[in-house]
Amino acid sequence: MRLVALAFTALVLSGCATQSRHTYDWDGYDSMLYAGYKDPARMQEMKLELERHIAEMDRSGQKIAPGLLAELGTLYLQSGSSDQAIMMYGRERDTWPESQGLMTAMIKNIERRKKAKMEVITQ
Amino acid sequence: MKILIIGLTLMLAGCVTPPAKYDMSAFQAAAPRSILVVPMVNRSLDLDAPNYVLSTLPIPLAEKGYYVFPVNTTKYVLEQEGMYEADRIHAQPTESLAKLFGADAVLYITINRWDAQYAFITTTVTVDFDYRIVSKDGTEIWKAHKTMQYTPQNSNTGLLGAIISAALARATPNYMPLAQQANRQVFVLGENALPDGPYLTNKAP
Repeated sequence: MRLVALAFTALVLSGCATQSRHTYDWDGYDSMLYAGYKDPARMQEMKLELERHIAEMDRSGQKIAPGLLAELGTLYLQSGSSDQAIMMYGRERDTWPESQGLMTAMIKNIERRKKAKMEVITQ
Repeated sequence: MKILIIGLTLMLAGCVTPPAKYDMSAFQAAAPRSILVVPMVNRSLDLDAPNYVLSTLPIPLAEKGYYVFPVNTTKYVLEQEGMYEADRIHAQPTESLAKLFGADAVLYITINRWDAQYAFITTTVTVDFDYRIVSKDGTEIWKAHKTMQYTPQNSNTGLLGAIISAALARATPNYMPLAQQANRQVFVLGENALPDGPYLTNKAP
């Protein structure tokens, strides 16, 4: 009896039986974000999970959900891997034309910072 | 048995979609392809609520057919621009925010409630949000308000069981399913649900 009641509660909370199928494969993006916000140390896990997910989608030739490539790009940027960040931002831009303005600005910004750093080193 | 009936009623109440009649002309005129989700203004006492709510938004909006700007990247860019406070971000002209990101529309959310209220043997968890979408020219094109609540039910565990389960809900109230359900209700199921975005409508034969 308790189990049945629990199952019902779960159904109610999971957003009812009318839950539609997803167009995109999100692979736990929302839970990753949640975990990362709850414990910032877990953002590193999100980076690995997104790398794995994107490699998987590439292998099967599927379109990657909006934003995921850019989110990985930002995680790269925050951990100092600016070349990898540029690559991901470029892929987001090529996959989703709506992101073009932002992705181009992100890439230009990283390149400008890299150039400024180079100038400091060579002076 | 009673609990089954309550569960069933809840389920049906949550699922019935009322007949849709709401003025969507402003939204349809703006016809946004992309939505920028900016950090939420928080009127609850839980400092973590805005980030948690942020994590629930990209999936339902993208599944509705819109390009949703990556929320964590958005947050990062805003912080780089010196915008850490949601109140300040919400006070910016939408035109300049939309321009900064190249977005067609901006979604603003205010968290009014995100709390667990304790009575003697029950705990009620509540979330309450105001949603507003403004197009890049500054026109408000959509808005909604949603409150969601749940009180963990006890079947046959008696008073002690009820107290234990209320204490559990109180120690770790589970807000996320409520937030997700609130989003689904306003974006997908509600009387003023969002029209299908370009990635849904273009797919139609």
